[in-house]
Amino acid sequence: MAVREVLRQVRCRRLGAVGLVVVWVLLWGSLSPIVLLGGVLVAILVIGVFPLPALEHRFHLRPLWILVLFARLLVDLVVSAVTVGWQAVRYGSRTRTGIVAVPLHVDSDLLIALTANVTSLTPGSYVLEIDRRHRVCYVHTLPLHGRSDAERQRREVWAVEERITRAVGTDEQVRVVLEARRRRERT
Amino acid sequence: MTAPDIVSAVTLLAGATFCLLGAIGVVRFPDTAARLHAAAKPQTLGLLLILLGTAIRVPADTVMALLLVALLQLTTTPVTAQIVGRAAHRIKAMKRPNVVLDELGTRDQPPAPPSTR
Repeated sequence: MAVREVLRQVRCRRLGAVGLVVVWVLLWGSLSPIVLLGGVLVAILVIGVFPLPALEHRFHLRPLWILVLFARLLVDLVVSAVTVGWQAVRYGSRTRTGIVAVPLHVDSDLLIALTANVTSLTPGSYVLEIDRRHRVCYVHTLPLHGRSDAERQRREVWAVEERITRAVGTDEQVRVVLEARRRRERT
Repeated sequence: MTAPDIVSAVTLLAGATFCLLGAIGVVRFPDTAARLHAAAKPQTLGLLLILLGTAIRVPADTVMALLLVALLQLTTTPVTAQIVGRAAHRIKAMKRPNVVLDELGTRDQPPAPPSTR
């Protein structure tokens, strides 16, 4: 691969490169010059070997909402571990499951990816297919007994989407998500 | 026994319990897609608790590496679940009596469109 192309990738993904160096330093557990140099070389190598399309959307970091997102994520993780564990012990092979289609409101690779990721860590659900073009997440739900559970699942994913958007979305995206919720509440 | 010892003991045991719950789920759930829930959630929480319990007892400079383990676990688990779950659905490895709703299999009837645009 052309050196210029690698340099362009590294320039476009400065943040990712810094992240890779940090991971490398953490792995070695020391900040000596040789480790740092190794980290920079590995970061350039990884970015050069695995080129990615640039994120086409801008994002906006809101520290307070990021904190809310993380706090909620921890709570959800505990609740979901307990729910799934209880289902395993109490119902086992009689557990009912289902796949729910959840149409999302935001139209951004980053926000959809994050929403799918966080949904997979919330109680009784993980995303098993994303239809990017139609902005639909297909969520595997456990336990699921009928239509009302599917509706509840949809509302939960939308709540995750809203928290993600408030944490890292642009003002415009936040407006879209809040508008969608107002419409839902009216009907 | 000091306070850190007790906290560490409690978190390690709780973590082990959640890992056990995850294992029970993997054995008992009806199909691959359901088993992934057990592999994803109780397992992740169990690991996080064990890391927390370990972090209390080891020198401070190794704690960062433990943090890295937690971060990688949280970011990679959903990806695994998605890839394996999708594969299970595509090869129809889901036990039908247990699957009460499959909106991915019946895409002809999409739910209400997004309320924007």
